[in-house]
Amino acid sequence: MTSTLPAPAATGEKAARRPRHPYLTALATARGRTGLALVGLVVLAGLLAPLLAGHPPTDQSGLTLAPVGTPGHPLGTDDLGRDLLSRLLYGIRADLGIIAAAVPLGAALGCLLALAAAAHPAADTAVQRLFDLILAFPGLILALAVTAALGPGRLPVVLVIALAEIPVFGRLLRTGILAQRGREYVTAARVGGSSGRRILTRHVLPNAADPLVVQIAVSLTVAVFLEGAMSFLGVGVRPPEPTLGAVLSQSMPHLAQAPHFAAGPLVTVTALVLGLSLVAEALNREIRR
Amino acid sequence: MTELHPSTPTAPSRRTTLRAAAGGTLLLGLGLTGCRSAVAEAEAPATGAAGPKRGGTLTVAVNTDFTPALLFAQSGQSLQHRLIYNTLTRYDDRLEPRPELATSWEYAPDGRALTLKLRTGVVFHDGRPFTADDVVFAVKNLQNPVRAAQLRSTAAAVTGFEKRGDHELTLRLAHPVNNLFDLFEFMIITDRNSVEDAVAGKRLNGTGPFRLASWRPGTGLSLTRNEKYWQPDRPHLDGVELRVIPQADALVSSLRTGQSQLSYAVPGRNLSTVTAVPELSVTQYDTGGGASYLGVNTSVDPLGDKTVRQALAWAVDRERVLSQVLGGYGLASATPWPKSSPAFTEAGRTHYRHDPGKARELLRSAGHTRLDLPLLHVNLPGETALAEAVQYDLKQIGVHVTLEPTDAATAQKRLISQTMPALWAMGHSFSQVQPSTLAVSAYPFNAAKNTSRFRSETYSRTVREAWTSRATGAEANALRQRVTDTLLDEAFIIDLVIRGSVQVASKKLHGATLNKFSYLNLDDAYLAA
Repeated sequence: MTSTLPAPAATGEKAARRPRHPYLTALATARGRTGLALVGLVVLAGLLAPLLAGHPPTDQSGLTLAPVGTPGHPLGTDDLGRDLLSRLLYGIRADLGIIAAAVPLGAALGCLLALAAAAHPAADTAVQRLFDLILAFPGLILALAVTAALGPGRLPVVLVIALAEIPVFGRLLRTGILAQRGREYVTAARVGGSSGRRILTRHVLPNAADPLVVQIAVSLTVAVFLEGAMSFLGVGVRPPEPTLGAVLSQSMPHLAQAPHFAAGPLVTVTALVLGLSLVAEALNREIRR
Repeated sequence: MTELHPSTPTAPSRRTTLRAAAGGTLLLGLGLTGCRSAVAEAEAPATGAAGPKRGGTLTVAVNTDFTPALLFAQSGQSLQHRLIYNTLTRYDDRLEPRPELATSWEYAPDGRALTLKLRTGVVFHDGRPFTADDVVFAVKNLQNPVRAAQLRSTAAAVTGFEKRGDHELTLRLAHPVNNLFDLFEFMIITDRNSVEDAVAGKRLNGTGPFRLASWRPGTGLSLTRNEKYWQPDRPHLDGVELRVIPQADALVSSLRTGQSQLSYAVPGRNLSTVTAVPELSVTQYDTGGGASYLGVNTSVDPLGDKTVRQALAWAVDRERVLSQVLGGYGLASATPWPKSSPAFTEAGRTHYRHDPGKARELLRSAGHTRLDLPLLHVNLPGETALAEAVQYDLKQIGVHVTLEPTDAATAQKRLISQTMPALWAMGHSFSQVQPSTLAVSAYPFNAAKNTSRFRSETYSRTVREAWTSRATGAEANALRQRVTDTLLDEAFIIDLVIRGSVQVASKKLHGATLNKFSYLNLDDAYLAA
């Protein structure tokens, strides 16, 4: 009796046919890969700051505005003789820490409020007006108001970014929920006896979440700008701790004679924002397909 | 660095020639020290072929707006004061008073009265004649606590007024004071009938060379020529615009592009940008800009111990602050006095040098190896850099400082209300006039009530003696030295760098000067073609 063994090729074919998660497909595109590489490079630089930096970021010296390539200071020094490479790496670290805390916090709060709004019409009105109130303040005005109340530091920056993101995520999710609620599968679940809360969290929410993933990437980009703007205006993280915006602000008076002073944070912010934008765009295209 | 600008239009008279020679000699001397004088510049002879040109509007870039409520106090921006108003006298480089609305003066032998002869033919912008009553009002106005004038104590020393006609006035003093002409340099003569409108910013009626056309808060002041000005054929300019540009980089850009032609608000760190512009000239005055200092709140433990305060004074590297924070424009100094002050001594200037070892030793002798203290500073780029430099130097001796960036208005409020934290880094003025004025008027130094909450019978007595003494020469110097010695020994204000005023101007502009309180004088200014 002969037995027929399954051909190895058949197993491989089956595996190849397994549907790939759309997010992975999006990130595997050239756009997604480029974005991930740029973001990964910046994140890696921030994470490895203690290993890569040859000097503490706040140590001063008499070496004012040393040029790029100075022994011991590959990116030169700032006006107070601080190592620019070290300030750049620790600045990335500080920025990433802030946006990694602030954007998920804003997203979580926004989504919670959107879910509450979906639960009851009265709550919907209250949440909508709350979003209007927050949106009435432009980001920087909000930043100045929060800093005036709390003083400078990391916490006010995190709060400002989170506050600015709450209505963005809240409105996006609310729109998604409203669109999904009219679908047949929701009606089927309701007919099947599922409670309103269960329908919302187990059926509607997973189907309305795709735009949120794209929005997170976009919001990270906005957060980089907002943190940079706050530090640039002197209402961000408390000096002498470096952030990308603070280093950029310090470089302004010296642009003419030491353009390299501003180059590091400018290139880094550009790479980070470009990378995040590419990732967001790749995800968006794949989800809309 | 020093440049002469032509300013006098007519052929030089004998007096002018003598003045020019004196001014030239003085300029030479000051040039050797890298500084020059505003008054000397005004009196330098005209060397240009064309001479003064009538007409044109000068745009002055300022970084803070006019604050009418502080019209009689010392605000951060006083350039418009001498444009709209006049003062009784003005100082020359040797602190000798020169006539303005007062043409001559004579002290009583006991020093308790001063008789002023006032200029005739002067009218306010509304056409009302200037009389002795306006001087009486001006002094009484500064005595009013509501006006918050830092020279109030000197104004309060005037206890009686005797008029002889409309243009002669005797001021009776409670006791002799040697800074009365500081008061006359500081005190603008305002219209007594519209003073409340003035402090509200609605109407500024003075006798100065320009009239207020409009004030747009946050934007600036527009001034037009006063056709009834008491100096014949002056001013040359049709008008002056004071344009508010808070951002230093934008302010520098406005100068580089010719949108503004004059500024005294370019930070030292930005000056290297403008020195390379061929159309602009940078001139440094050794007076008028004030000084950067580290303030110490003596009511915060352990800063009540002067050994700890002295340790802080030894810890700061003033030369590094000067070069890295102020772009090299200024004078590293442990005392508040500029070189032009009669109280200046080289020994005082270098009393505290950068010696971290000695600072640590003093701190240990006071029983401390580590201190954690807050330090308030204004959240502007230059002020932040100063605070960061001080923070780093103090960290080297074990004093760990947490910076508290604060907006300028809040910092000023806390300075006046004596609610500063343990340390603060700011700037002070008033050291460019009579030394006694600093110790009886400036908020950080005022012997009666200062921001550091420092109280000392010795300091109060020393200051009062220096203020009321009529001594001159060696005796006066000895009194000033005692004030300096007390300031250095007690170290409740730790001076870091004397900042001169730095004028950045278009090379087309000639004849702009400042008085000792940074009031801009454009009587003889003109824009060359």
